[in-house]
Amino acid sequence: MPDSRRDFLRGFAAVTVGAAAVAPAGAAPTPQAAVSPDKTPRWAMVVDVAKCIGCQSCTVSCIYENAVPEDSFRTIVSTYEVQEGDRAAMVMLPRLCNHCADAPCIPVCPVGATFQRADGIVVVDADRCVGCAYCVQACPYDARFVNHGTQKADKCTFCAHRVEAGLLPACVESCVGGARIFGDLDDPKSTVSKLVAKGDAKVLKPELGTRPHVFYLGLDDRLTGKVEGEPTLWHPTGRETHA
Amino acid sequence: MDRRTLLKTGVAAGGLGAFAAGYADTARKVVEGVADSLAPKAKAANIHGASLKPEFTVDPATGGLTPDPDQQVSYVMCMGCTTYCGVRVRVDKTSGAVLRVAGNPFHPLSADPPLPPDMSIKDSFVAVSRAGEKGLDGRSTTCGRGSAMLGWMASPYRVTQPLKRVGPRGAGRWQPISFEQMVREVAEGGDLFGEGHVDGLKALRSFDPIDPKAPELGPKVNQVGLMSSTNEGRENFARRFVQKAFGSLNFIGHGGYCGGSYRSGSGAAMGNVKRLPHAKPDFANCEFIIFCGTAPANAGNPFKRQAAMVAKGRTDGKLNYVVVDPVIGHSDSLAAKHRGRWIPIRPATDGAFAMALARWIIDNERYDRTFLVQPNPKAAAAAGEAGWCNATHLVVAEPGHPREGFMLRASDLGLTIEGETYAEKDPFVVVDPATGQLVPHTALAGPAELIVDGAFAVGDKPLRLRSSFDLYAESARRFTMEEYAATCGIPAETLAGLAREFTSHGKKAAVNTHGGTMAGNGFYNAFALIALNTLIGNINVKGGAMVSGGAFPAEGKGPRYDLDGFPGQVTPKGTPLSRNVPYEKSSEFKRKKEAGKAYPSEAPWYPAAPQLGSEWLTSALNGYPYPMKALFVWNANPIYGIPGLKGAVATALKDPKRLPLIVAIDPFINETGAFADYILPDSLLFETWGFAAPWHTVPSRTSTARWPVVESKNAKTADGEPITMEAFFIALAKTLGLPGFGPNAMRDAAGTLLALDRPTDWFFRAATNVAFAGQKPVGDATDEDIALTGFGRHVPALQATLKPEEWRKAAHVFTRGGRYQPYAQGYDGERMAQKFAPALTLYNEQVGTARSSMTGRRHSGVPQWTPPAFADGTPMRKVYAEADWPMLLISQKSVLMGAYTIGLDRLRGIHPENPVALHADDAARLGIANGDKVRIATPGGEVVGTALVRKGVMRGVIAVEHGFGHTEFGARSHLIGDTRQPDGAALAAGINLNDLGLSDPTRKGLSVWLDPVAGSAVRQGLPARISRA
Repeated sequence: MPDSRRDFLRGFAAVTVGAAAVAPAGAAPTPQAAVSPDKTPRWAMVVDVAKCIGCQSCTVSCIYENAVPEDSFRTIVSTYEVQEGDRAAMVMLPRLCNHCADAPCIPVCPVGATFQRADGIVVVDADRCVGCAYCVQACPYDARFVNHGTQKADKCTFCAHRVEAGLLPACVESCVGGARIFGDLDDPKSTVSKLVAKGDAKVLKPELGTRPHVFYLGLDDRLTGKVEGEPTLWHPTGRETHA
Repeated sequence: MDRRTLLKTGVAAGGLGAFAAGYADTARKVVEGVADSLAPKAKAANIHGASLKPEFTVDPATGGLTPDPDQQVSYVMCMGCTTYCGVRVRVDKTSGAVLRVAGNPFHPLSADPPLPPDMSIKDSFVAVSRAGEKGLDGRSTTCGRGSAMLGWMASPYRVTQPLKRVGPRGAGRWQPISFEQMVREVAEGGDLFGEGHVDGLKALRSFDPIDPKAPELGPKVNQVGLMSSTNEGRENFARRFVQKAFGSLNFIGHGGYCGGSYRSGSGAAMGNVKRLPHAKPDFANCEFIIFCGTAPANAGNPFKRQAAMVAKGRTDGKLNYVVVDPVIGHSDSLAAKHRGRWIPIRPATDGAFAMALARWIIDNERYDRTFLVQPNPKAAAAAGEAGWCNATHLVVAEPGHPREGFMLRASDLGLTIEGETYAEKDPFVVVDPATGQLVPHTALAGPAELIVDGAFAVGDKPLRLRSSFDLYAESARRFTMEEYAATCGIPAETLAGLAREFTSHGKKAAVNTHGGTMAGNGFYNAFALIALNTLIGNINVKGGAMVSGGAFPAEGKGPRYDLDGFPGQVTPKGTPLSRNVPYEKSSEFKRKKEAGKAYPSEAPWYPAAPQLGSEWLTSALNGYPYPMKALFVWNANPIYGIPGLKGAVATALKDPKRLPLIVAIDPFINETGAFADYILPDSLLFETWGFAAPWHTVPSRTSTARWPVVESKNAKTADGEPITMEAFFIALAKTLGLPGFGPNAMRDAAGTLLALDRPTDWFFRAATNVAFAGQKPVGDATDEDIALTGFGRHVPALQATLKPEEWRKAAHVFTRGGRYQPYAQGYDGERMAQKFAPALTLYNEQVGTARSSMTGRRHSGVPQWTPPAFADGTPMRKVYAEADWPMLLISQKSVLMGAYTIGLDRLRGIHPENPVALHADDAARLGIANGDKVRIATPGGEVVGTALVRKGVMRGVIAVEHGFGHTEFGARSHLIGDTRQPDGAALAAGINLNDLGLSDPTRKGLSVWLDPVAGSAVRQGLPARISRA
């Protein structure tokens, strides 16, 4: 609303969000001019943070779609209460594997089980994985875990099995606020390309140079790393990513 | 060395360190793995783990669909909350397991915009796929809870066989019995538990008076009642049994302990405190919304649609909003920046907030004068208004006059009227601004005088008359802005700023409230909030306040079948158990008046309220106005849901002499069912039939269909029918020889009598009514539609029940999960298509002329600020002083957990308990740290919870998230036959605010604290103290 109308907020501290804007390190690759139909896509996700209402539909949909065991998450919405001067505010931050172009989880795998497909999806070959958890430790986003049922490294695959079937990842399909957007970053006509091309997309922990392919719109720079806030979900069973 | 290399090295070193520290097993596996990695690659990488096989494949280029023959995708209904969204359910055809739940893209509660209603099922599957990125904008969703609901289907706590209690009530021991035995015992009664004779329904179906000395109480059939929850799609079936066939007046839902204060306050502002009309913002087009006492992205109805529209409105759309609430919730988002803001408020002061805004708007003449001055619908239409109100209508304000508080009517002026004096067609009276004379409100073609307070000659005497608006303005001016600010804790300049903002968008602004008003002054809080909408005249305006788009007639008198009336139908009579009628018409009043002291009554009466579940169990057990003999509790849980009730009645409820027969109809043993004598396993979620409708916020006409996508796990009747509520009532009715069930129980449109022998006789005909409603019936379901959705197994029965021209249309409704008016038809240009026609009421005569049965005093007919009080008007703080109880407890709805979903392991895995929120300043003062165990005490009870120290909560407030603190549903393992239910300690996590609810210290007998006008349960603003445990 125009500033002239904001006086109903008088009595509250002024809000300056994202004042310390920095250009996102490792920002999006520039979309290529044209894509031939049989060209391999580069899958990516854009999360429009202001559209997330923290309902965890993504979390639960993923759990059932991917048989995620009871004490683990392939994705979750970290939910915090943060302070902005005198103002308390809620932060809902969907987290998942970033399918990094330079993924730290890949080189540490002693058996070559973790690899990046041509379409950018970072996957684990369960037939090769020995469950050593080096990749779990290497991931700066806490996006991996050892599945206690299979004893294999487990993580988000962007629902590769659905994407290959012409469908959307489960978390995207059922995102109530429409915050999660999925598509081919190499296709300049795709929604994700257009959103990333606007230039204000950010990634988590850009300073690590991992070149994530999960981009966040509307993310306060102070939230790209460890969040100074009070988690409000309260001790989810097992591991919640607070990286 | 750059950071990247550092990181790698660091991790590798750490990893090797761990390796060396003795991961021998890992070492072995690594060696094997390396060896394997050197072997030639024979097969594709195993990357998908145990992920589900896709339900269908869509060619992204052509959109061609290839279904998976092993799965069905069915459009049905979620029952995870009272929103009842349309969902799509994936089922493994071989195992019958429900695999995943997502949204139904035809359904406006789940998709925005929904698909065109006549699209084929095949195309609807393609529409949610990646092909052409259709599935992004076209996505249809379930919320977190809805996605987890399938966990119910395999719950180990589910009851599948009728149960009869063993030992005393509430002991947790049960004997499985046959359906037929249960029907027989409930019907016939007898010495059922070795505790003496219990009347069965046969003995209780008497039309003799309960008390010949108090004939107004009605016949003895009223001593049988049913507590329901909400209309989840089968309510009219249950009502048919209890009310129309058995003949009892007493059938009640959960409104009195859900959002009853809101509904009553809204009913007062919208002219009817019995039918309780209510409006919501047109979220899609509204520019500024004040949410107070509701948080759209946290809960409410329809939760998911509201949340989605707020998310869309604050990003892509034009919406700005504030959430005025004692505690921050998910409606706030840092990322939304200034588009949505949380404004903390003290509990139970919403009325002060609203009246402050009203005062500022009136003092600054920022109200929509053109709207307010129109005395009737024709004048309003001529002035270009989409609705009208009674602001100009006159109220008799002459002290001591027999008509004081009533609206002046044309008959009072001696004018000839249609119908009876003071009845509906006796016009109201306004002042004609041209002549200054009193005229019927219907007489003017244009405005009437808005602000009137004067003596007018009526008959032979001068009579003080005041306009509704004038009375409302006076009420608003009883306190200054500073006084209101001091009461509600919001700075006066913020109140003024909000009032200015609210009146800066023409009619494209709205106030919205709901269960946050459930305080000891909840009725007036809600009335005051809703009246603000009247001030800007936003009713029926696109972007303003809308009424629901409505539903197609399923369980009523429809175009093909009459599911309403039947031969032999009973019209219930008498006094409802919750005494929501004038005390002054009772024998007790006459008796007491003759004895010289008419007031107080034994317990409160609620003349301006609907039937109240909040007063049911206390009334039944107090035997006032009469004792109850048999109670059905159908998927309802008042003991868990009503603040203070468990503490008040648990002992009495265990005594069969006070309430001889309790029958729970429920798939689980909840906190109320634990007290039952019998439990009838109802069908569960994706095994059930039903027709529901959006409660609100969908502008287009919508009916949601639910049908069994999997076989019921319940035991069967002797006829082979799975046990359900419907099968139970059919069998009971037949045993009792009641009308309306069995042969010749219903009629088709031609008047032919038909049987009601099985549930599908009802639901197939309901579907047909839905299909044929309106100008044109729906199309026919194709064989492909039926095959893709798995509806085929119901087709033989459908064909056998319906007429040849009907069954494919009924199947169209089932396969689409309902029927939907095209969404765009919800609007009529710049107005809503569905309009609220009656007058909005700034002065409500029904309320203003009703008296408290405890004091004999009249209620205020206009909104007002009044502090929380007990039944006799004593302010709560007079009894429970701030010095002793310095904190106020509030209930906050959970984004994830519902009142009955604690058994969903995957939800609990995300959010396992409900720590109580309190402000960091309070915590520091009390020496409480985050995560500390804290003891919370109120005059009604004491519990130990976990502290969550926050700043997003008003100082002086303890906020408790609803849905935890269960003692049943699996939290206690019952002994069923020889089998003990599994240990469910995790289901007992957290605390339940309702265990801290209050009895009313100004009442006799068993009581809970209820709003004195609306009779709604009080869960907001409970006096409390907190300390480290």
